[in-house]
Amino acid sequence: MLKLLAYLLKENVVTIKEIPPTLPAETRSLPKLTEKECAPQCETCRDLCPTNAISIYSDEGIKRNVDIDLSACINCSLCISQCPTGTIVRNDTVKTARSQLSELILSTATSSDLVTSIKVSETDNIFGRSIACRVVSTGCSACDLEISACTNPIFDMERFGISIVASPRFADVLLVTGPVPRSMHEALKSCYMAMSEPRKVVAVGTCACSGGVHRDGYTEANGVAAVLPVDLFIPGCPPHPWSIVEGLLRLMHGKSTDSR
Amino acid sequence: MRLKELTVLDIDRAAMLQERLHQPGTRLGLITSIDGAQLITLILHTVSGEAELWHTPLQSNRYQSLTPHIAQAHWQERSVWDMFGLFPVGHPRLKHNLLHQAFRESFFPLVPGALEDSAFPHRSHTPMKVSGSGIYEVPVGPIHAGIIEPGHFRFSCLGEVVYNLEIRLGYLHRGVEKRIVETPLSKQRFIAEAVASDSAVAYALAHATAIEDLCDIEVPDRALYLRSLALEVERVAMHISDLGGLAGDIGYLGVAATLSRLRGVALQMGELICGSRLMRGFVCPGGVLLDPDNHLLQLQTLTAQLQNKILSPLNALLSNQVAIDRLDKIGRVSRRLAADFGLTGPTARASDLVYDVRQHFPHGIYPQVSLAVNSESGGDVLSRTKVRIAEVKSSLNIIQSFIDSMPAGSVFRNLPRDLPANSFGIGVVESHRGELIHMACTDEFGKLKRYAIKDASVNNWTALAIAVRSNLLADFPLCNKSFALSYGGHDL
Repeated sequence: MLKLLAYLLKENVVTIKEIPPTLPAETRSLPKLTEKECAPQCETCRDLCPTNAISIYSDEGIKRNVDIDLSACINCSLCISQCPTGTIVRNDTVKTARSQLSELILSTATSSDLVTSIKVSETDNIFGRSIACRVVSTGCSACDLEISACTNPIFDMERFGISIVASPRFADVLLVTGPVPRSMHEALKSCYMAMSEPRKVVAVGTCACSGGVHRDGYTEANGVAAVLPVDLFIPGCPPHPWSIVEGLLRLMHGKSTDSR
Repeated sequence: MRLKELTVLDIDRAAMLQERLHQPGTRLGLITSIDGAQLITLILHTVSGEAELWHTPLQSNRYQSLTPHIAQAHWQERSVWDMFGLFPVGHPRLKHNLLHQAFRESFFPLVPGALEDSAFPHRSHTPMKVSGSGIYEVPVGPIHAGIIEPGHFRFSCLGEVVYNLEIRLGYLHRGVEKRIVETPLSKQRFIAEAVASDSAVAYALAHATAIEDLCDIEVPDRALYLRSLALEVERVAMHISDLGGLAGDIGYLGVAATLSRLRGVALQMGELICGSRLMRGFVCPGGVLLDPDNHLLQLQTLTAQLQNKILSPLNALLSNQVAIDRLDKIGRVSRRLAADFGLTGPTARASDLVYDVRQHFPHGIYPQVSLAVNSESGGDVLSRTKVRIAEVKSSLNIIQSFIDSMPAGSVFRNLPRDLPANSFGIGVVESHRGELIHMACTDEFGKLKRYAIKDASVNNWTALAIAVRSNLLADFPLCNKSFALSYGGHDL
């Protein structure tokens, strides 16, 4: 026991102090769009996309536009690496969580503001400085692993006031991972009903946002929003732990983490 | 993989399989069907590295169950019933496995043209009842207290002692096998690895190996090395995570926290290899996505660091008498039952069954590069812990030797445009849980018509039910953790 203690003291503090604004350079991330115009007739990204998250269409026959639905994006990053014109690039921000699914659709047709910046919905701060989260997993466990990572000594989200609890009875927030296949619909609803109000629901990961690769199959695994009202969507397959922490903090404070 | 195909009639099947399984080095791989008109039985020969595929044409939707003679068939026959509506006559305990109350009795999703008929009632489920005075039941789940996948457990207890554990899975059934067949070849790998992301590399590798086996193509050596490298990094990360969980379950929090931190180093290695902590999208049919050449040096440094730093917490775990007392003789699985139920991976090796896919079937650079198999004979939680610890160490060593001996060259070759018609492709991989089998099958036009997956957990779930018998209910979390079972990999 003493040996372990000596070892731990020698290891120092490993916790990363501040949430970094961007992901490390080697980390694969979600895509974003730039103002650079698409090459004529190029449909590489659309053809490569494993979840059909990209659509290309002409604006009155003049400008070609690209839409990317981040709620379906599994950050395979093929579109980023194969885009010949630099229209689709790496989006290294950790602030990927949004309160509406429509805010997750990036488009070259709209102003570049929406493309790069993040709209923050201001709600009342109802939880004070801490939230207790209940995790319900309905998927492949990648997002579960990343939520677990959020609680490890490196990310340590508990210091920000976010804790994971073992019962819906004392939870403020329901974190749902996975596409919610049909056999989980009832269980998930009853878990939600067991929570006291006010309560919030967060869809963690692309499957939870939209069903991801499982969408529109015979098990109706189309994401959390098909079963419960969702307050925050965190896309990514899986989302980076910092994206999860940042999203939850924004949900907790009801405002941007910048002005915290 | 050399595949011998033969037709075996339903009436001879059980006797023939019994005879085959008596031969040393023979394993029952997969029991499934293609479209419900036949049964497919895959048998693996570990000595020759070959496989046998039995076609059993069926005239009706009934066949003779193997389970009364071959215990390990029990779980797979339940799944075949749910997916194809094929009824195993003589199955001693037939119950729904993948689909239950949410689905109607008439719906068999892998039969072509399957639709749900509202004239039929929903599937029902009756758990096994243990009766007698003082017996009570404890239902747990499907949603559990921690951050873990869903499944329902029903314990029948007398006092604190568990008499029977009834496991009910299927809550995560997403219809992956059908979705893969509907998807173009180049995008299938993303679905395959989304089955269970804690073994994303193993799943992607089994998929790639099956497709390459189908096309009969060789992959560049460097790609094979990189695949094995990724597979071992994943094994290290998951074993560390499972060991940390075990330490947490016995209240040894210093070790648990240290291991969860060191797991971060293994994830960082994954990130260096391909940009994804879980190495999603790295392995693809034909090779690997990219060459992490300029990160290999850094990878070597990280590996050395991890090798050095992981010794203290692991020694702290195994040298603490209180910890040993909590793990020793808990959740025993005897060697005989382990063999009968076809257990695989660290679970089997802890019960003295020396079977490691890496020694027998081609995936990555294995079995060209061989490594010693770590086994223990106790069959309890302590043995499983020791096997994992030994594997973390041996995997870290082999990662170093992979980086040292990595051949130069390309990491990808193109697949042929069309798949061969009427063919089978098999991929068998040692995931961190054990033997993972993927089987791809094409029709007369070279189109994929069936994709079957068997996770190591399919067999290993039975081990949990065996292990908790006559143990304290309070030891269940510990037993469960020691098997590190996958819900998603089982439910697909």
